[in-house]
Amino acid sequence: MNSSSKQLQSAQSMNMQSRLLAHAPFLVACSMLVVIVAIYGSLQTGVFTIDEINLNTAAAMTLMLAATGQTIVLLRGGIDLSIGGMISLGTVIAATRFGDDPANILLWSGIILAIGFGIGALTGLLISVLRLQPFLVTLAGWSILNGIALMILPTDGGKVPEWWIGSGYLEFLGLGTPVWILLALIVFWCWFRATRLCTIIKATGSSEKSAFLSGVSITRINIITYGLSGFFAALASLYLTTQIGGGSPNIGTDYILPSVAAAIIGGVSLFGGRGHLFGTIVGAYILTLIGNLVFVLRVSSYWQPVMSGVILLLAVLASSYAEQKARKRGS
Amino acid sequence: MDIVQVKGLTKRFGGIVALDGADFSARLGEVHALLGENGAGKSTFIQILSGALNHDGGDILVDGQDYRPVNPDEALGRGIAAVFQELSLVPDLSVEQNIWFRREPRTWLRTVDVSQMRQQTLELFERYHFPSIATTREVRNLTLAERQIVEVAKGLAKNPRILILDEATSALPASEATWLLSLARQLADEGRLVIFISHRMGEVRAIADRVSVFRNGSTVATHDAAAVSDDQIVTEMIGRQLARLYPERMDTATDRVALQVRDFSSPPMLNGVNFDLREGEVLGVGGLQGHGQREMFQSLFGADKALGSVTLWGKPVCFDTPRQALSGSEGIALVPEDRRGQGLLLTKSVRENLSLPVIRRFSHLGLLNQRKEAELVRETMKSLSIKADTPEQIAGTLSGGNQQKVIFGKMLMTQARVLLLYDPTRGVDVGTKGEIFQLMRQLASEGYAILFYSSDLPELVNVADRVMVLRSGRVARMLEGDDITEEEILRAAVFDSEAA
Repeated sequence: MNSSSKQLQSAQSMNMQSRLLAHAPFLVACSMLVVIVAIYGSLQTGVFTIDEINLNTAAAMTLMLAATGQTIVLLRGGIDLSIGGMISLGTVIAATRFGDDPANILLWSGIILAIGFGIGALTGLLISVLRLQPFLVTLAGWSILNGIALMILPTDGGKVPEWWIGSGYLEFLGLGTPVWILLALIVFWCWFRATRLCTIIKATGSSEKSAFLSGVSITRINIITYGLSGFFAALASLYLTTQIGGGSPNIGTDYILPSVAAAIIGGVSLFGGRGHLFGTIVGAYILTLIGNLVFVLRVSSYWQPVMSGVILLLAVLASSYAEQKARKRGS
Repeated sequence: MDIVQVKGLTKRFGGIVALDGADFSARLGEVHALLGENGAGKSTFIQILSGALNHDGGDILVDGQDYRPVNPDEALGRGIAAVFQELSLVPDLSVEQNIWFRREPRTWLRTVDVSQMRQQTLELFERYHFPSIATTREVRNLTLAERQIVEVAKGLAKNPRILILDEATSALPASEATWLLSLARQLADEGRLVIFISHRMGEVRAIADRVSVFRNGSTVATHDAAAVSDDQIVTEMIGRQLARLYPERMDTATDRVALQVRDFSSPPMLNGVNFDLREGEVLGVGGLQGHGQREMFQSLFGADKALGSVTLWGKPVCFDTPRQALSGSEGIALVPEDRRGQGLLLTKSVRENLSLPVIRRFSHLGLLNQRKEAELVRETMKSLSIKADTPEQIAGTLSGGNQQKVIFGKMLMTQARVLLLYDPTRGVDVGTKGEIFQLMRQLASEGYAILFYSSDLPELVNVADRVMVLRSGRVARMLEGDDITEEEILRAAVFDSEAA
């Protein structure tokens, strides 16, 4: 009796431990963010104000949106490099087609989002039908989309109306547009991760063969995940136009690897099946704040990529350590 | 009328004929066993039936209507579900998520109704007396046996009229296997058809109403289980008379201790194991699953850590990695439990699989001596009679028995003379089983020392020289001579040795 209750207890504490371990990469990311914010806050006044939150969220939002799509693709066990091309393409279409008429802008926003989803879906279809590595297909996709963006607008330019730019800086209850977008993303994820679709995406990423044997259509899942990734890249491009006030045919390239890095730092597995958007959001904040940190530390801005790399390495180490621990426990 | 009627079913994979005019017929309310050697066509047959493959020729009627499913969902639509040997579970999802995968109950927000799902799981577990498994655990943390049980639950959750169990008992320890047998019986009594594949004749005897025997891609015969002898079935399976399954036991053990293990522990699973394995001896390891057998094998091989002292041929050793265990002539080699996952590189050739652990022996300054490699590979294939077209055949395309032989070959090429065999006959057909036992005896007589775990009690009784029974990570009893019986092993596994 006594021994069995003891056993139960130890089983429960083991369960607790393995749950903690399962979340270890995310927790590590959170602590890194806390440390960075602490350092930042000790060197700079006014860090813990709503204004500062608005400002940093605005700086991180394009990356967060792009990384949302990337997270979905990573959960499925893939990777999407074509978002770079899609973001560029989105900004140049907006900068050349928007004009001043709100109805027209709404129409073209919808078209850009549809193009994002459509091209993503096409990518997913190609990956399934041609049985090619997603890395290669999306690398090609990036190049192609980038080329098309350059054909539409060879250099930075074009324009979007003032009120459109202003819509990126609205405030409601003290919170700016980007914070509201962030809240919307969080609500979206709370819903999405509880859906059957998300389970299927994670399952496919975890073991494509098992998912297939359980009746999952891999083609359909590829179309949906890459489609969503393209959609979020298009969304990121629309937000980005409010920040840069026009189109930029190469700008998307700057978001490809950071979008992957943000997800990985937040604990999303590069091998699929594990992770969530909250981690990615934390990761995006970390990558953005490093820029601020470099600024307030008054060191050369070349330190920013170095620090990003070190943090990425730490995050990967944390998750692989947790993985090994968990595996020991499991076997 | 029979619910499933199959006439002249054919299926080819390239030039290989997997099914060559198989006939089959089964009715609701029966347990219908399929028997046959590996490669006889059973697996192909049930994959077609369950919609994982489509057939080239012949007819299948279900409920008297033409049946040609293009995927498992369509098969399920006609009431057919299969529990596969290659587990279809997703490692990163929980037990309950796996059981109800793609058929989860949903809320009005279209999200998964977790509490409802848990409720359904518990009801399912209770109704069919499932061994207890926490429903929220991730499948990647489960043992092979637990995964198999979850796989059964997943099949049952679909509430099929026809349930196919493909060697579902082979991964299970005795008590769970017994449970599964009574479950199959219960399902048949509920008016379902259970198509049951097993290599264990005792199980087939225990529950099957009828038996169909496959050989070379077609069905040889269907019998009432009560009216046919074991000998006749075996003869039909292999097309000739099998001399005997178990080799004659010869006392080849010497006094020289090959492997001495003292206070071997890795809590909570291993709590101080002591034993001596002698040269030329086959030492059986028994006990209920999960009492430290797997941990003991893994740790001895250096794949897991453990405390205690291990002496190999008189020299104390401490292996931290399998690489250390495998190196040199005084090493230890392991045949792992999950041969598809751990033992074989399925997409690589037989040659590459065989030479991988000893690749250093063929290389000089980083270059491979291919002639030397080819020679040794050929020798090993011949001495084990591995049935492959060429050494370049991909390992994954071999039959289960031949895959197992490749793993044996891998081990023998290492020159290690202490062999750890962890359930080496799991999912292996009767003919190959005989060959494996023969090989074990032969190796023992050549001076190898063999530690042999099996989840099948008769194998331990008939093959091992001594049997040590583990309970709670300790040696509960060491059985010798006439004491080695199924009853004694079970007794030692379940009860305190003093109290019994």
